Amino acid sequence: MIAVEEPSLDDVYAVVEEVWTTFLGSDEPILPAFEPQPGPIEGWTAAVTVTGAWEAMVLVTLGDRLSRTMTGRMLGIADDESSSEDLTDALGELVNVIGGNVKSLMAGPSTLSLPLVAQGAISTTSHLEEACRVDLTWSGDPLRVTVCVPRAEGEHR
Amino acid sequence: MHALIIDDSRTMRSILRRIVTELGFETSEAGNGQEALDLLEGGLQPELCLIDWNMPLMDGYTFVTRVRADPRWRNLTLMMVTTESEHGQIVRALAAGAHEYVIKPFTPDAIVEKLELLGLAVKEVPA
Repeated sequence: MIAVEEPSLDDVYAVVEEVWTTFLGSDEPILPAFEPQPGPIEGWTAAVTVTGAWEAMVLVTLGDRLSRTMTGRMLGIADDESSSEDLTDALGELVNVIGGNVKSLMAGPSTLSLPLVAQGAISTTSHLEEACRVDLTWSGDPLRVTVCVPRAEGEHR
Repeated sequence: MHALIIDDSRTMRSILRRIVTELGFETSEAGNGQEALDLLEGGLQPELCLIDWNMPLMDGYTFVTRVRADPRWRNLTLMMVTTESEHGQIVRALAAGAHEYVIKPFTPDAIVEKLELLGLAVKEVPA
């Protein structure tokens, strides 16, 4: 039987907080959501895949307003100046850094894919299941980080 | 001084450009290792390359090995700036000829500190 490892919620939150503060500054903290949004967050999703000693997919989902704010801050432009191309690039880098730092918490060696970014949701493959979800809020806008890992051996859906 | 920023993310190139420009560097940019090699072959003469690891076409590690294999660029300072933080990868990059290694996310101060260690920081980043 293969042991499927997953990062703890605290570890994932610590990674996101560090990345967020580095990119956006510490004026407005990113906080755990007191009342997580029950359904999907409408907006943008960015994902990276980890392969090797640890296998996983790390997804970051943000609403449209937060995506534009994040992109504006990262690129040093006004929020309303960001194009879809800007959003794709900035959110790709965001998930790359979050995914890379989550990967560093787990046993290696593993390889990080190039990021995939979409307006809307990104589907995971059927062999993956959600192992860890962190719902956060920044300046009133929701942000979700999800880590999916392979299902335990023998478990099928 | 001139810095060549090599990263497939335009966002990360923009972040690094703002940091090193404040330090007095002029900058050029490449979206992958092959583009960066093409710029060097074309006569660009930077003192510093800031290099991501994971990029399409040619990754940063391959770029470092290619640069280090060519005596024309023996004085070029190479700094990896990447999310790859496994000990084995850091050792591999340094053994291949990278001078410094910065893990993303980084603060401007972290870049300044590394450049100072390399004797390349020429001006403080304003607070």
